[in-house]
Amino acid sequence: MDTFEEFLKRVITIAFWLLLLGPVIVLPIILLVLPQFGVPVEVANRFLIALINPLEMLQFIDSLGIGPSSLFFKIAAFPGFTFAALFATLMILYERKLLAKMQNRVGPLYAGRFEGILQPIAELFKLIFKELLTPEKADKPFFWAVPFLAIAVGGAFLALIPLSPEIYIAKSEIGLVIIFAILSFTPLIVLTAGWASANKFSFIGGLRALHQLVSYEIPLILSTIGVVMLSGSLDLMKIVQAQASMWFILPQFIGACVFFVTMIAELERIPFDLPEADSELVAGWYTEYSGMHFGALQLANYIKLYGFSALFTILFLGGWNGPATLPPVAWLFIKMFVVISFILVLRGTNTRIRIDQLIKLGWVYLVPLAFANLFIALAVASLGIA
Amino acid sequence: MSQSIEKEELLLSSIKDKFGDKVSELYVNPKRIKILVDRENILNVATFVRDLGFNQVISAGGTDFPKEDSFVVDYHLISVDHEDLKRIIFNLSTKFPKNEPKTPTLMEVWPSAEYHEQETFEMLGIIFEGHPRMERLLLPEDWNDIPPLRKEFKLPSRLVEHGSS
Amino acid sequence: MEVVDQEGRTLTFSIGPQHPGSGHFRLIVKVDGDFIVDVKPDPGYVHRGAEKMCEERTYIQNIPHLERPVIFDSSGILFPYVLAVEELLGVQAPPRAQYIRIIMAELNRIISHLYWLAIYGIFLGHSTMFMWPMGDRELFIDLAEAIGGTRVTFSYFVPGGVRNDLPPEFKERALKTCAYFEKRLKEYDRIFFSNPMFLKRTQDIGVLKREDAIRLGVTGPNLRASGISSDTRKDEPYSSYQTIKWDIPVRKEGDCYARAMVRFQELFDSMSIIRQALDLIPEGSVKIAMRGQIKGKVGESFARTEAARGTMFYHIISDGATHPYRVKISVPSFRSLCAMPFLLKGNHLADMPAIYWGLDYWPVEADK
Repeated sequence: MDTFEEFLKRVITIAFWLLLLGPVIVLPIILLVLPQFGVPVEVANRFLIALINPLEMLQFIDSLGIGPSSLFFKIAAFPGFTFAALFATLMILYERKLLAKMQNRVGPLYAGRFEGILQPIAELFKLIFKELLTPEKADKPFFWAVPFLAIAVGGAFLALIPLSPEIYIAKSEIGLVIIFAILSFTPLIVLTAGWASANKFSFIGGLRALHQLVSYEIPLILSTIGVVMLSGSLDLMKIVQAQASMWFILPQFIGACVFFVTMIAELERIPFDLPEADSELVAGWYTEYSGMHFGALQLANYIKLYGFSALFTILFLGGWNGPATLPPVAWLFIKMFVVISFILVLRGTNTRIRIDQLIKLGWVYLVPLAFANLFIALAVASLGIA
Repeated sequence: MSQSIEKEELLLSSIKDKFGDKVSELYVNPKRIKILVDRENILNVATFVRDLGFNQVISAGGTDFPKEDSFVVDYHLISVDHEDLKRIIFNLSTKFPKNEPKTPTLMEVWPSAEYHEQETFEMLGIIFEGHPRMERLLLPEDWNDIPPLRKEFKLPSRLVEHGSS
Repeated sequence: MEVVDQEGRTLTFSIGPQHPGSGHFRLIVKVDGDFIVDVKPDPGYVHRGAEKMCEERTYIQNIPHLERPVIFDSSGILFPYVLAVEELLGVQAPPRAQYIRIIMAELNRIISHLYWLAIYGIFLGHSTMFMWPMGDRELFIDLAEAIGGTRVTFSYFVPGGVRNDLPPEFKERALKTCAYFEKRLKEYDRIFFSNPMFLKRTQDIGVLKREDAIRLGVTGPNLRASGISSDTRKDEPYSSYQTIKWDIPVRKEGDCYARAMVRFQELFDSMSIIRQALDLIPEGSVKIAMRGQIKGKVGESFARTEAARGTMFYHIISDGATHPYRVKISVPSFRSLCAMPFLLKGNHLADMPAIYWGLDYWPVEADK
């Protein structure tokens, strides 16, 4: 198979023949054989009718409990895991293209008809077929658990972020606190990865990541207290409702800046990518992960990027508020797109920061700024502006 | 193109005044001075030359002269901040017989000679007394042949030429 | 090899030669926590015995040979060799060849400095700082290819002149490239050299004061960054450099930032020199015809020039045969081995790439 397009053509041809011959040969067999095994005839009947009539299909799936308004659909498809994964892959492509244009080159070009749009899918296939190497002295249960844990944390983080007043997976009155509690698992996962890899570079990278993530959690949480004060609630839905008249970035500008900087530190992106400083530490705490393990870790990273930019938009940029010409979800995504572009451009224009400068920045500059922001929020709230 | 060698002759005469016949002048050209010193006096002469203003060792190497059965060690000195000395390269050399390959180190006079002397030791087998590290620098760790820049050492690739080609 | 000392306080380990942050060179580092206590450089990974091999080949056969240590600054390492051989033969290159040599040497200087800048970007973690210089460097490599025939290691200088003349239309091409690149350098300044993160990583780091710089044998841009105005092209002008006017960039601070800025300024100066040389170049032959094998007169000669990294020096002893009796090469990277432990001690381990590459140490050249 020469190109990815030919491979896709073959897959589609096979699917086509299956769909053509399947109902003609296989389904009558099912209708005749299944009742022998005790499946009620009505279910088989409804299934056959649903294959022809799409509206019936919707009702059939609903009756099985996996319809579009059921929890299963929300977790698995939209706005849950599948959607997040697709969004993450699109973001990977966008990042590579944006960086390439900034750097006078073209980026991925050949996979897919249009400017390499199928490149992330191609890489996904590549990662699936690679060998999963485990170092000999590694601690196997923990080594294998880390990618799963990383995706679990990313997924749990996403589950609590609503995309519009109707589209959400989970709702809670203390949503913001739960999000921070989930995020504080990340240093533990990183440390486990660094230790279980039995490699001194991974271990140094894991320790550096631990320092960085733990130091920057405090300004992260402090900078959002101002928002909570101004909106009077920890629930993300109510925070967005409270920004109907004015986005919180205006009275809380310092808080927004602190949150933005600590967000980049929590995501381990340039300029804060010490844990994976590849001219010093090869790849940091995920040096020993290969194949789909590595794919899972990258996916978790970009899901967190999606989650954080959504959180920033909800807390400071008015969430899904906007003129009624577009649905609220669209407004949320437009604002998220701007935030993500900002983060990606920062990657292309900055060098890496040194570890002692990083810690100094976190404790000496960001924490006092977050406290100052708190007092500004108090003043604004008591003056009754927002 | 005749250039004046006033400055060079001035330097040379100040050295000759101080050291007399311990120093023998090999030549004085525009921008080049070369003197030959015995290894017993080289430390004093070197200190004097440094105080004249030549403050960097640009190269220090040795040569093997099997016909005269001696080694010659050359130090080339330049001055980077004295305006009137900048164009001159000063060559301080010493000669000693091949069966006593020892000479005092000039590291205290010019710290920049450190790695050059180590390389000369490794390549020619000359021991610089007083140097802290007379050990391997460029050659591989498992080198067990004679120092390669001696004339007795023949490159293995050239030894084959007698039979083939 | 990793050794923890008796009290368990310091750890000795080696950085390189198989390390993304060291090039083909090993540094044996002793650290106490994050601070470097002692450094022992261990060159020799790519030693080829260039000096010994020179004694077995004729003067002309040595030319492609001696270029290899620094493939992208090949004119820099070859220039003093041809000057020394010409001194032994008692000839001088014709004026047109001298100006062409200036153009080639300055083109190589720009190519080398851009390579240095790109790798500095990798060491500091700035990917754009890697991509832009490498892309713009291709324009200058194309210019050098038009003159010399290959992209690197042109074997273009010969004793008695240069191998062939400039191609037609070269002047317009060179001026167009220089005009484009000067515009680009303004963007470089904005995104790299005025970048606050870059300043944080390089200012006040690895400070080399004036006396230490002289004492430790540092030459070239590193010396000029410590406040000493010394450039072989002005101290001992060779090959018609005395007819070209430019100012030597000198900075007083002596830290990594000063060394970067001196090299940045040298890019501008090199382009100005190329323009002046293209204006002043006279007509004439480019090579002195030599018959048969070159035999130097009995004696010795030495010559020094300013390569991209510092002062390059050759000492040739000849006994009248077709092979030189002894060729001694002194490269600027070998001389900065003295300054490396001095600068690295007491600094953070994370500063090691910034200081080490800021000295522009090229391991292949130092190993000859």
